[in-house]
Amino acid sequence: MNATTATRLTDALSLHATTSAAWLDSRRADAARLFRDKGVPHRRVENWKYTDLKTALDGADDAGANDIRCIIGTLPDGVELFDLGDLADAPQWVQAHFGKAALSDSMPAASLVLARAGFALRVPKNLRALQPLRIAVEGSGHARVLLVLEEGAALELVESRPEGTGFSNVGMEIVVGANARMTHVRVADASPEAIAVEDIAVRVARDGAYSVHLASGGASLSRLNVRLTLKEPGAHAELSGVSVLGGRLHADVTTEIYHAAGETRSVQLFKHVVGGHGRAVYQGKITVAEGADKSDSRQTAKALLMGERAEADLKPELEIFADDVKCAHGAAVGDLDADSLFYLRARGISEGEARNMLVRAFLEESVSQIADETVRAAVWQSVEATLPGAMAP
Amino acid sequence: MLEIKNLHVAVDGKEILKGLSLTIEAGQVHAIMGPNGSGKSTLSYVLAGRDGYEITEGRILFRGEDLAAMKTEERAAKGIFLAMQYPVEIPGVTTLTFLKTALNAQRRARGESDLDAMSVLKLVRKKAAALKVSEEMLKRALNVGFSGGEKKRLEILQMELFEPKLAILDETDSGLDIDALKLVAEGVNAMRTPERAMLVITHYQRLLDYIVPDRIHVLARGRIVAEGGKELAHELEAKGYEHIVGKAA
Repeated sequence: MNATTATRLTDALSLHATTSAAWLDSRRADAARLFRDKGVPHRRVENWKYTDLKTALDGADDAGANDIRCIIGTLPDGVELFDLGDLADAPQWVQAHFGKAALSDSMPAASLVLARAGFALRVPKNLRALQPLRIAVEGSGHARVLLVLEEGAALELVESRPEGTGFSNVGMEIVVGANARMTHVRVADASPEAIAVEDIAVRVARDGAYSVHLASGGASLSRLNVRLTLKEPGAHAELSGVSVLGGRLHADVTTEIYHAAGETRSVQLFKHVVGGHGRAVYQGKITVAEGADKSDSRQTAKALLMGERAEADLKPELEIFADDVKCAHGAAVGDLDADSLFYLRARGISEGEARNMLVRAFLEESVSQIADETVRAAVWQSVEATLPGAMAP
Repeated sequence: MLEIKNLHVAVDGKEILKGLSLTIEAGQVHAIMGPNGSGKSTLSYVLAGRDGYEITEGRILFRGEDLAAMKTEERAAKGIFLAMQYPVEIPGVTTLTFLKTALNAQRRARGESDLDAMSVLKLVRKKAAALKVSEEMLKRALNVGFSGGEKKRLEILQMELFEPKLAILDETDSGLDIDALKLVAEGVNAMRTPERAMLVITHYQRLLDYIVPDRIHVLARGRIVAEGGKELAHELEAKGYEHIVGKAA
C-alpha cells in the first residue's frame, strides 16, 4: 500500500534531523512532540469540524513534493532579510521570535519542524516602509515566515497565492512592536487541486496596529488560521476578508483573537459568496482576558448562498472574563434580498445585472477595508475570476 | 394607456384583488384611495411585475400589450415607473451609479445608445436641484441613511429622469412633512403632459390637494367600490371610508 500524505507527514515528523543550534533543536523537539500527541487534525477535533484535513491528506497521494518557495519582491529600503535556509546561523532577532508561536496547534508545529523554505524580515525601529512588499508563495511543502516590526515601524505586505497543486503548509509569525503598524493583504486564487493550510500568528504590542484582508477563491481544502494576541493597551486589529467559492471549492477562515490587555480593540468583517457545491467556513473566537477592561471587539460574518447545494458554516464564539467590555457579534446566512432585486429590476435593470450589482455590493463592504487602491483592485481582479462560478447555483 | 379588466390577484394563494377594473387614458391622473389592507399596494406591485403576485383571472393591457407576459425590467423600459412606498436601501451601490445603470439599461432595451457618466451627471444635476437632492446624496450609497423625505424625493427624481409613460405613485405622501409634500407634488405636476398617465395611490386626501386627479377610485376588499371626480376625496375625508365602503357592501 502506498503511503498517504498523512502518514508521510507523521513519519517525517518522527525522523526530523537535528542542527548545530540548540535553541532551534529544542523548539523543534517541542513541536514534534506536540504533533505526535495531536496528529493531523480531523473532523472530530472541534476546531476542525468543518475542515477534515486528515481525510483530505489521506486521499492525496501525490502531495509529497517539497518544492515550496517564497518569491520576494523588491525589499523596501532599510528592511533586513534573512533566509531561513541558514537557521543555524540566525541573528539574535530571529532567535528571539522564530517558532515561538508554533506550539498552538499541530500544523504550525509541523511547519516549524519540517520547513526547509522561508524567510524572516525585520523592519527596524521607526522605519516606515513606503512601498508595499510583495511576496508569492508557490509549490507544495512546508514553509515558515517571520516578520518583525520594531517599535514605530510600518510595513504593508501583499501576499499572493497563485493557483497550485499539492499540499502546502505555511506558518507565519508576525511581531508588531509598540506603535508599529502592519497592513497585510493575502489574495489566494482558486486552486481546485490544492490543499492549502496557513497559520498566521500575530502579537501586537502597546498602541500597535495590525490589519489584514484575506481574499480567497478556495481550494480543494483551504484552512487559514489567524491567531492574534493584543498584548498591551492600545493594541488594535482589523480583520476582513471575502471568500468567493464555486464548483467544489472550500475555504475555512478561523480567527482566534485574544484581548490580553485592557483598552484593546478588534474589528472583523468577513463576507462569503458560495455557489455550486462550494463550502465556506468562518469560525471566530474572541477571548477577553480577566482584567482586560475597556476592550472593544466587533465581529461580523455574512454568507450569501447562491444555490441549494452551497454551504456556509459560520461560528462566532465569545469568552469574556473581564467586566467592563464591549463585544458585538453577528452572523447571517441568506440569499440575495428579494426587495432589493425587485427594486433594481423595477428600474429596468435585468435580473442578471441586478444580481451582479448586489453581490458586488455585498463583497465591497469588506473589500473596501483595504486602503491601498492598487491592492484593492488586485483583490477585485482575483474575486472577478471566481465570481461567475460562485454565482452559479 | 392602461386597461385593467376583472383583475384577480393572489399572493401566497390568498386572493387580494377580486375583480378590479380600471381604465386610464393618456394625459389623465387617476387616484386610488382606500383603507389599509384594501389591496392598493398589491395593485402597484402587480403593475410593476413583482414576483409572487399571481394573476389568477382577468388581464392588464398597457398600450395594447399584455402586461403579464413582460418581465419587470421590460415593463420599466417600456415606460412603467413605480415610485415605491418603501424605497430599498442598497449599501455598496452609490446613488449616481445606480441612476446611470438603470437609465442605460432602459435605453439599451429600447435600442438607444448608452449615456456616458458625464452626460448622466449633467442630466441628474438639472433635475436634482429643484427637488433639493444634494450632490452629497448622489455620492452616498443608494437610500442608505436617507431620511424618509429624501428617499421620496429621490423616487421623484428617478421618475423625472426615466420619463415614464405611466407613473404609479404608491403612498408617496407617507412620512412627508408639508414642505416635502409640496416639493414632491410640484415635481409630479411638472410631469403632467398629454402623453403621460399617472396613478396616484394614497390613503389620505391631503396629497390630492396638491396633485389634483381627474378621477378617483375607492378600493376596498380588492374591488373598486366607488368612483367619482376630485370632490370624492373631500367626501371621504369628511365622512370616512366606512361610510362609502359600508354603503357599497
